[in-house]
Parts: sequence; C-alpha cells; structure tokens
Amino acid sequence: MSSIENSNCNYITNKKIKIFFDGKSYDAFEGDTIASALIRNKIKLIGRSFKYHRPRGIYTCGIEEPNALVQILNEHNEPNTRATIKRVYDGINISSQNRWPSLAFDVGSINNLLSPIFSAGFYYKTFMGPRGFWKKIYEPLIRRTAGLGKPPNNFRSKSIHQNHNVDILIVGGGLSGLIAARKLIDTNYDVLLVEQDSYLGGILKNSNKVDSIDGKKTTDWINETEKLILKSNNIKILKNTLVTSYNFTNHLIALEDKFVGKKIDLDKSELILHKIRTTNTILANGHIERFISFRNNDLPGVMLASSFEKYIHRYGVVPEKNPVIFTNNSSTFSLVKSLIQQRCKPLAYIDARKKEDIEDELKDYLKNHDIQFFPEAEVEGCQGNKEVEKVRIRTNNSIISINSSMLCISGGLNPDIHLFTQSKGLVKWDEKIITFKPNTAFQNTITLGSVSGNYNFHKIFEEVEEKLSFLNINKYVAKIEINVEDDYSITELWETKNDKKSNWSKSFIDLHNDVTTKDLTQAIDEGYDRIEHLKRYTTNSMGTDQGKISSINSLGIVSKLLNKKISEIGTTTYRPPYAPLSFAAIAGRSTYEFYDPERKTPIHNWHVKNHAVFEDVGQWKRPWYYKKHEDETMHQAVQRESKQTRKTAGILDGSTLGKIEIKGKDALEFMNLMYTNAFTKMRPMTSRYALMLGEDGMIMDDGIICKISDKHFIATTTSSGAPKVLAHMEEFLQTEWPHLQVYLNSITEQFTTFNISGPKTREIISQIFTEIDFSNEKFPFMTFKSFNYKNTQVRIMRASFTGELGYEIYISPEHALELWETIFKHGKEFNLVPYGTETMHLLRAEKGYVVIGQETDGTVTPVDINFNWMIGKNKKDFIGKRSLKRSDTAREDRKQLVGVVPLDKSQLIDEGQHIVECENLPKQIKTPIEYLGHISSSYYSPNLNHCISMAMIKGGNKLIGKTLFVSTPSGIKNIPVEIVKPIFIDPENKRLIS
Amino acid sequence: MILINCPYCGEREQSEFTNGGEAHVVRPKDPDSLSDKEWGQYVFFRSNPKGIFYERWVHTHGCKKWFNAVRDTSTDTILKIYKLSDRRPEISEFQTTLKSPSGEPIVGSGNFAVKK
Amino acid sequence: MNKVVTLDGLDIYQKNFQQILIRGDGRENFNKIIKENLSVSPPSKNLEVTNTDKYLFAKSSFDQWNLLYLEKQEYNNILINISKLNKVDEILATDYSYGQVYFEVIGKNKDQFLNKLTQFDLRPKKFPLNSMAQTLIARIECSIFNLKDKYIITCNRSFESYFIERLKDIASL
Repeated sequence: MSSIENSNCNYITNKKIKIFFDGKSYDAFEGDTIASALIRNKIKLIGRSFKYHRPRGIYTCGIEEPNALVQILNEHNEPNTRATIKRVYDGINISSQNRWPSLAFDVGSINNLLSPIFSAGFYYKTFMGPRGFWKKIYEPLIRRTAGLGKPPNNFRSKSIHQNHNVDILIVGGGLSGLIAARKLIDTNYDVLLVEQDSYLGGILKNSNKVDSIDGKKTTDWINETEKLILKSNNIKILKNTLVTSYNFTNHLIALEDKFVGKKIDLDKSELILHKIRTTNTILANGHIERFISFRNNDLPGVMLASSFEKYIHRYGVVPEKNPVIFTNNSSTFSLVKSLIQQRCKPLAYIDARKKEDIEDELKDYLKNHDIQFFPEAEVEGCQGNKEVEKVRIRTNNSIISINSSMLCISGGLNPDIHLFTQSKGLVKWDEKIITFKPNTAFQNTITLGSVSGNYNFHKIFEEVEEKLSFLNINKYVAKIEINVEDDYSITELWETKNDKKSNWSKSFIDLHNDVTTKDLTQAIDEGYDRIEHLKRYTTNSMGTDQGKISSINSLGIVSKLLNKKISEIGTTTYRPPYAPLSFAAIAGRSTYEFYDPERKTPIHNWHVKNHAVFEDVGQWKRPWYYKKHEDETMHQAVQRESKQTRKTAGILDGSTLGKIEIKGKDALEFMNLMYTNAFTKMRPMTSRYALMLGEDGMIMDDGIICKISDKHFIATTTSSGAPKVLAHMEEFLQTEWPHLQVYLNSITEQFTTFNISGPKTREIISQIFTEIDFSNEKFPFMTFKSFNYKNTQVRIMRASFTGELGYEIYISPEHALELWETIFKHGKEFNLVPYGTETMHLLRAEKGYVVIGQETDGTVTPVDINFNWMIGKNKKDFIGKRSLKRSDTAREDRKQLVGVVPLDKSQLIDEGQHIVECENLPKQIKTPIEYLGHISSSYYSPNLNHCISMAMIKGGNKLIGKTLFVSTPSGIKNIPVEIVKPIFIDPENKRLIS
Repeated sequence: MILINCPYCGEREQSEFTNGGEAHVVRPKDPDSLSDKEWGQYVFFRSNPKGIFYERWVHTHGCKKWFNAVRDTSTDTILKIYKLSDRRPEISEFQTTLKSPSGEPIVGSGNFAVKK
Repeated sequence: MNKVVTLDGLDIYQKNFQQILIRGDGRENFNKIIKENLSVSPPSKNLEVTNTDKYLFAKSSFDQWNLLYLEKQEYNNILINISKLNKVDEILATDYSYGQVYFEVIGKNKDQFLNKLTQFDLRPKKFPLNSMAQTLIARIECSIFNLKDKYIITCNRSFESYFIERLKDIASL
C-alpha cells in the first residue's frame, strides 16, 4: 500500500486512522470522507450500478453523488450512505453495495448485456404475468439482483427535534451567505445560519475561484467572519446541518448530524431534526454542476470538474495528477489553475465552446503551460476495463484517442433551485446561463449568489446589498479578487455524438437508476412526451439523488427530441426532502415508550402492585383485569371478578371517565339542547342517564348528568369521549348560542372516581362515611350527595354500571389512594374485588347496558337501541332531534339492538360475526348471502353459565323469539341462536334499586 | 404545517388547531319546519371551493376558542382571521391579493377545460 | 419540591401549587366579586399575569382566569372560597389544585431546552415577561407562565409520569 498524503489542506488533520472497505484495511486522515479516503488510496471502483451492475466510482464530492453509495456495517448496517458525505473515523467498516459475489467480479453484470430487455418501462412491460409469478419469482429475483444496499438492523434511534423561531434564516454558509450574515451582525434580527459542511466558506474553501477578499486570503476572511458572527448576540450557526424541506409559512426542516467523523454513541441523539420557523428566508445554497452524456460516461474515473477541484482544496487530495478536462463553459478554468498550483498538469483541455467564445486569458494560460487544447471539440466516449483507460475526442470531424485514467467533466452550473421551488417559488429559463433560475418567490424568500443565477463574484456585494435593502442592515463592502473569468460563458451541450462500439457501450442520463439517453428516446417514441410521465416511465431522476447532476440535462435532451424549447418542457415537481431523510429523524422521540402520551390515574401504582394488566383506552392506561396469581388467564380472571361482584362487591377505578362542570344562568336551557333527555322537571341533587347525539341524530356519547340546580350541572362522559364532548359543547356555546350565559370546565382530572357495586356495597361504604345515611329511602337510586370528608370534598352518587346496587365516589386526587385503600380495608370481610374494564363490559352486557362505541358505531340512533324513553319528545329542539325524523332514520328495518343466546348453551359466539338465516354456508359462495347484522359484544356469563351476546340486526325488534344463525371464524357450519330481548339478568331492576 | 394567528393567543402552529369546516352555516332556528331535504342540506352539505373559502377553526390545544378564517384553498394561504362576533369580510377584499404558485386559474377548477 | 432535571444552565423542579380556575365575563361586577372573596384582583388584559411571592393570577383567555397559590394555603379555605364564588350564577369557579401538576423551569438555557419539546415561540418579543400561554409541550396541553427568571408549567395530573419521563429523556440526550 502506498502511503497517503495531505497536500496542505487545513480541513483535514494529519492524524492517520484505519478504515475498512470490503474487509480490507486502509489508512485515512481524520476529516476525510469515505470518498476522499478511498481516492487517497487510489481506489476507483466503489460499487455496482442499480440495474446493469456496471462498475461505478466516485462521481462528485458532495450531496449530489449518484454512484458512490456504500453500506456502513458498524452503524446499524446503514445502507445507501453517500461516500462523498460520510466522514470516516478510526475503525469504520464500509462495504460496497449491489454486487455478488464480489465487487470486482459481479454475476449480475450480465444484466448489462441483456440490457435490451431492461429498457424504459421495463418494470411495466415485463412483470405482467402469469398470475402468481410476481410474488414467487419476479419480486424475489428483483430484490436479490437489482436495488441498493441491505436494510439496516433493528435499532432504536434517539434522534431528537429542536424547534427554532427566528426572524431570518440563512441557508448556506458560502460566500453570499457569509456576506449576508456579516450585514446582520448585532442587528435586531434573530438570525440562524445553516451550513451543511463542518466548515463555513462554501465555494471559498472548495475551490480557488476566489483569490482574496478585502485583501485577505479567503481562509482568513472566513475565519474573521465566523469570529464576528460568534461574537454577535443575534446570529447562531448550525454546522453539519442540511436543510431538506421548505414548507408553507416559512417553515423549514434541517437535519443535523451530531456524529460527523465520530463513532455513534447509542445513548446519545445521533441526529437532530431542526424545525425552523422564520419570517424571512435567505437561500444562499449555491449551485450544482451538471454532467454531460457521452458513451460510457459512467466509468469509474469520470468525475465532475468542480468536484475534482473540491477534493484538492477541501480534502487535500489530488485524485489524478494528469486528468483530461472536458467542458462546455468557463468555470473549469480554475481547475486548471488548481492543478498547476499543485504541480500537476491536465493531459488535455477539451472545450465545446466556439473558439471565438473562449476567453483569451484561458487560451493564453493553456498555451503558456503547454496543455493540449481542443476548442470546439467534444468527448465521443471513453473506454476501459472497470475504469477509464482511454478518452476519445472528436475534433474537426476526426477522433483523437488519449490514454488517461481520469476525465473531468463540466456541463455547466445549475442554481440549486430545489428548496426555492419547494417553497412554491416560480423558476424561469435563462438563455444566457442555459438553466432554470428563481424568478418569483411565493413566500418571503430571497435568493443570493449562484442559487439566484448570479455567477459573477464581482457583483455579489451589490446583489446582497440590493436584495436585503428592505431590512435594517449594516454597511459592509469589500473587494474581491478572483481566479476565473468575470462573466460565465457556456454553450449548450447535453449529449455528444457517439459511435456505438458494442452492447456494453451506453450513454447515461441517470447514473443512479441506470437510465440511458436511449431510454428517453424510446419513451418518447412510445408516446410519453410529458416530462412527468417520462420521468415515471423511465425512472429518470427518481433515484435517491433525485437527478441532481442530470435532471436539467434530460430536459435538454427531451426538448431536442420534441423540437420544443426547454421552457416549454418545464421541470418536474421538486418535492421535499432535498436529500434522503431517515424516518428515525422524522419520528424523533415519538417512538416506543413515547409513541403516544400516556395518562395514568392516581391509583395507577396500586393497580401495578396488584398485578393489573392494562388496556389502552384513548391515552389512558386502565386496568383490563387483575391477575390473582401468575397462572391465571384473562378468562379466569374476568369470570372470577364478575362472579364476585355480583356475589358481594367489586370496585372499578373510574377516574378516566370524563367529567364536565356546567354553570350559568342558562345552564338548564343549554343542557336541554345538548342532550336528548329533558332536565327541566328533574329535581336538584338527582342524576340521570343521558344521551348526546350528533346533529345527524346518531349517538355520540352517553353519561350521567347530575343536577345541582337549574344553573349548575355536572356531566360525565365516556373515557375516550371526554375531550370530544367538551369540544362539542363549547362549539355550540360559542358558535350557535353565544347568547346563552353558560361556562364549562373540565373536571376529569380534578376528581378521582371509584365505581363500587354489588349487594354488599352499602355495608362497606357505610363503615367509611359514617355520617351518611345510605338507606334506600334516604339515598335512593340516581341521587347524589356532597359532603366534607377528612378536610376534602367527596361526592357520592348512587348509580350503577353493572345492574347491581352501586355508588360512584368522587374525591380529590390528593386523597384518592388513601380512600381507595380504606375501602379495601373495610371491604376485606366481604371479599371486595377490584375489577377491570373487561369485567365491566361483561357485567354491563349481562344487564343489557350498551357501550357507546361497541354497540354503536356512529350510525346508530337512540331508537335503534330501544332508547326511545330517553328522548325528550316534548322538547322543542335538541341537537339531533330533527334528524330522528328523517325518512332514513325513521325506517323500521334499520339495524336494531337485540340479545342473542346460543341454542346449545355450550357454544361460544365471537364478536363481529355475521347473523344469517341459513344453517350452513355453501362450500363455495357464488351469490352473496343475505347478511342481517353483526354481533356487537359477546361474553361467557359466569352468572348464567352460558354465552350471551348483543347484536345489531335489521328489523331486530320484530325478530325476538326467532331462531337465526351466527357465522364462525372457521368452517361452514353456523351456530343456531335465539334472538331475545337484550337483557339477561334482573330485568325487573330488583338488584339495582334495592 | 401552516401558522395560524389565533385572535386570542397569537400565532401558533396548525397542530394546535382543528378545522371546523365551512363558516357562516347557521343552525336553523326551527328545525321542525324544514323538509328532509332542507334539513339534510344543513347537516350534510358543505361547499369545497378552490380558492377563497370562509372556514371555522378552533384553538383545540390552546384557549379552545372558535374563530373564522378566510383561506385560499389552492395555496393554503390564510388571508384573514376574524372573531365570531366580527362582520364577514367581503370576498372582493381578497381577490386581488391571491397568489398562484403554479400558474393555474386562481379561482375555479384546476382543470383548465372548466371555465368559471 | 422535587428536582426533575439538572443540566448546565437549566433546572426543573416539580412543585405543589394549588389552583382555582375561574370563568366569567371580566366586567366590573365580576372583578368586584373576585376581589371581595379572594382579596386579589384579576388581571384585565388577555394573557396577562400578575404575581407576588404568594400567588399568580393569569387571564388565560377573555373569559378565563387561573389563580395559582405559590404558597400553600389551607385546602379547606380554598374550597370555601370556591363555593362562595359559585353562589354567583355568572361565575364558575373550579378547584384545580390537585388535578394538575406544576413545574418550575429555571436557567439561561431554558428556552433552548423547551424548544426541543415545543414549537412555541419563547422569544421575549413574542412571549413577554408576565404573560402566559396555553400550548402543546411534549404533545400534551400545558399552560406556561413567564415570570421573572423562570417559567411555571402546568399540565393535567394524569400526564405527570409521561411528562417527567419526556423531560428526563431529552435532558439525557
């Protein structure tokens, strides 16, 4: 191995580290990217291409890289990492992608010779049939041979989000971004400057295009500027941060890599997603060089000219001492100067521009340094085995062949308009610089420097001054000395004329997705002449690089084929993100334990200690059932809990139930409008089961309403319905009836609620609240009392979820656990059992109480579940009343609530099963079977010793007493059942009101 | 994620709000006097124009207050926010300020063949 | 008082405050009744916070006020005051003392830290001293009061452990 060296680059330290590529160890410098390290080690072949498995090398030196994608084995096996971005550290383990068995010898490259079948629309045409082939043959085959890296291993990302609110965001810390920042130092604006690299400077550090600013070396000017910014009190800098999305209302997303050049620490956040809300956005994100299509323009050794220059200045490595340069514009002049500075020399300089358009200074420079110069010439193609060996130049209609291992190309510069167009700004074709540039901003967006199409360094101060003049900025002007021509000049060239040599020869338009210029021609021949269609048919610019170096080229080629102007072709839509963004970064910490906020009741820890298994109800954690011992199953626990409750007593933590306090002069009128029930004649200190409908007449929620007075009510709601009910009430109060004087407060969290029920409850709580008379006469069903208890307030309501004698106890959460434990102390002699939501459902079903959201589904009216008695028919109006009379809501054959009991009492019925009229289903269903309804809840009742179900059946009320059939999850034999009234236990309410 | 200027709390992100559909749809005073069709029109039908739209919002995760907004549905630009007690602004206030990002007609269908 | 998070330039403590939530029209009579019964005057400007060492009184919307007792009161007195206020039909007063949890955020890095959990604009020009806001922090509804050198944040008690875990988690990363 030859020893590596750093040619005086400040951005790379001289500390040597070891890296591994495809199992082999190499030296690299701290600060290297994978690409610069491999280039230092003279490695050109990096991977195999997506479709044809052609050998590919490093094409660029940045985010735009289409070829050099690698897998990082030691970081969760991260695939498709851009070698040109990813910084190395000691021991990093990298592998090439999409090759088998090895990079140098790859079986899949046979695809290249079979390329006629892999042309445009290949996926659409090839995998059409026969049936079943896709899943069994095509997909596994494609997955093995086409594509990119392997998926990462399971890992738990710790990416975090950071929000920013600023006045001005500057995207890009290059020349124009830094000038803008200097003008904003110590102004009244909060400014954030975002730079994707670890160093500021942009073009100043990536090239020698600018010689000096303000008489200082560019590096000195950058350092001076950075110091001034850091000293300021209003500008913050984020480095290693890439802006990926520009959304509405000046909201931008940027991704910061916290572990650049360092091994990831799994306990720390590796990525920070910055969400930036700004008033003005300054886009100074520069330009991207584009390539040129010619024969085998994908061979390792072909590299963009400005990237080559960047490797010299940014990474201190010269990829090749004597490359060939092929250009159609003036920007490559600085590369020649950079090489000469390094005591290297281009073998040849090929310029597609007309002789008279080429600057004299350049011509003289090439002559003085004795560099072969081919004006008005182009590269026909290049050849070589796994890398460039020979470059063929077409000049004056003859071909000259030069042996060289590298070819630097430049097809011109494109303003990086991605973010600008994401912001919905309009772009315009510029004939002079032959590219699209920003025209009309849609948001408060300013473009500065090359992203605005200004390639003239001497005009940069003027541009910044003018475009920021609406702000209150500092005066700052300096003199710039440059190494390139003042005026950028370019000639249009998208693809060179090539001689077809073999099937292996290809001229690519999209290196990432292996799309050739021939594919574009073919797609247009087949009628795909709209650019958006063409893109999808050919997959052009649909890779992870989004065609950054080639999408404008494809517009050029297509415009020629269609004989239209490029401005008429238009661009495809630029969508966020600008560069691949990992889902882990987007999710941030909202994963795993923080996937959704969790709500816990004040009794939660007691439940945990008593082996509760929890169920999610909305965001609440509610005990589902309690495991009495390790081996108890859910079924056993539920049977035990419900049996005990009916036998003696059971208690449920009902704290999650929504509670709303309603007060005001017009509270009674308001309640009469919100609920179906009539509250006018209701006596104070009584309560009532009530229904809330939507304006469509469908049941929305239920609950118990406590009337303290005509002006003061307390309503309970279902656990998950609480926010919805409060919002619904507020909506009508604020929007429809602002004249009603009513206030609402949520008191869900202010009162912990216990539901205690069973024949022994009275005995238990009489021992606790000794001053209260719980007798049936003094404390009848559906009344409540408020009183002081141990220096706090307690409200007890006689109500029942279960059909047994029951009370609801409300107490401040501060004293809740103490009371809960007191209840258990006194309940011990009666074997008081805590029960969970599953037992609650079972007990309710036995009594035929519906559960909103279980029996109902937003299409059920009160009439459908036999709740006619709850409708205040004499009330003039309430929400949903009118809808109950709509022809469809008043239909007699609507689905209605019934009870279902299997004829054979040993059989079990599943929830969700269909109710039908036939005993057996046919073996093969040829015509639809009439479906009468579905089972909405089904339980095995320990108190009745058979299965009980509730169902919603068409015209169910008329079917009581009939035998029907319920389907099963398996088999064609249905279960014969009897349709009964939906109440199974205590129809006379004896237990309830005893 | 757009920014919405709650008249009571100031500018907040969209995620704090809930959209309440078309504004200025008044609940009929005497529902019983309405035909099924008229009642159905109130309950189920709302307009969904491209361009200027008067709509309701509620600051769900803030002050929980309702307010109205005029929004350009083609660009998601909020043109005006006003309290429920404020007068409904005239449509002519906004027609000249609309911006179209992609050059399609500002008001009317995205389908160029459909002329408004 | 319970220390939740300590970082460079940031301390978060959990506190036990008591609170009354008051709804009303904010007119003269309302102010009079509040003053009479609670011996403090409600702030009149929307989102305004007035405070002493003992209490904090904030107007959280045009018809809603939060009175936080920063110094522990006899709980029974609070309940008595509430029932006195509720004798007036046009006022709804609710005890929010123990249904809420309270956090005090102190230190020069508090804005940056909180902005990891909320998009809310904490800059003084948008969120001035002695003002309050209701917003989402860590995806749950919170009220935040901007007092001299500190924020007081309150949220529903049921989120207590989730919220503390989120604070600790962000602090550890």
